[in-house]
Amino acid sequence: MIVALPFGVAAAVLLGFILASMVRLGIGPTAADRAVALDTINTLVVATMILLGAAFGQVVLMDVALVYALLSFVSTLYIARYLEGGLK
Amino acid sequence: MTVWAVLQVMTLVLIVIGSVLAVWLKDLLAAVLALGGASLLLSLEFYLLQAPDVAIAEAGIGAALTTAIFILAIRKTRRKEEE
Repeated sequence: MIVALPFGVAAAVLLGFILASMVRLGIGPTAADRAVALDTINTLVVATMILLGAAFGQVVLMDVALVYALLSFVSTLYIARYLEGGLK
Repeated sequence: MTVWAVLQVMTLVLIVIGSVLAVWLKDLLAAVLALGGASLLLSLEFYLLQAPDVAIAEAGIGAALTTAIFILAIRKTRRKEEE
């Protein structure tokens, strides 16, 4: 699969940001730190998918990022409800 | 080694880091969060391998729904893992 070099470098930089967020997910002292780190990883993965969809030049690949951007909201919502103390 | 291969290796390294964190952490909520991150990066790997349908299924079920169900289970039981 051929990826143009500027797209590849941009995607590699985004993956480096994901690595930094993963470090915070590992060492985060409180659960709120970890929840925010996971939400940051969600956003960065959606951005990487959109960037690579532009690099591959196929419109159908954008649907994955769209579906996941809608569904990640549910997961973050459950984590926030649990940390708040609700979720009976 | 092409740019595509470099991206795949970086994604796989991140999957391994997330999986090790999910096993290593004693706080079960943190372990579930790490598992969600690893599952999300696995979805990105399927995306890189040109399988968008599998990536949609993995992101929807593996990353979003499983995290919610695990958190409901932790809510009903206890949060810390016992030694």
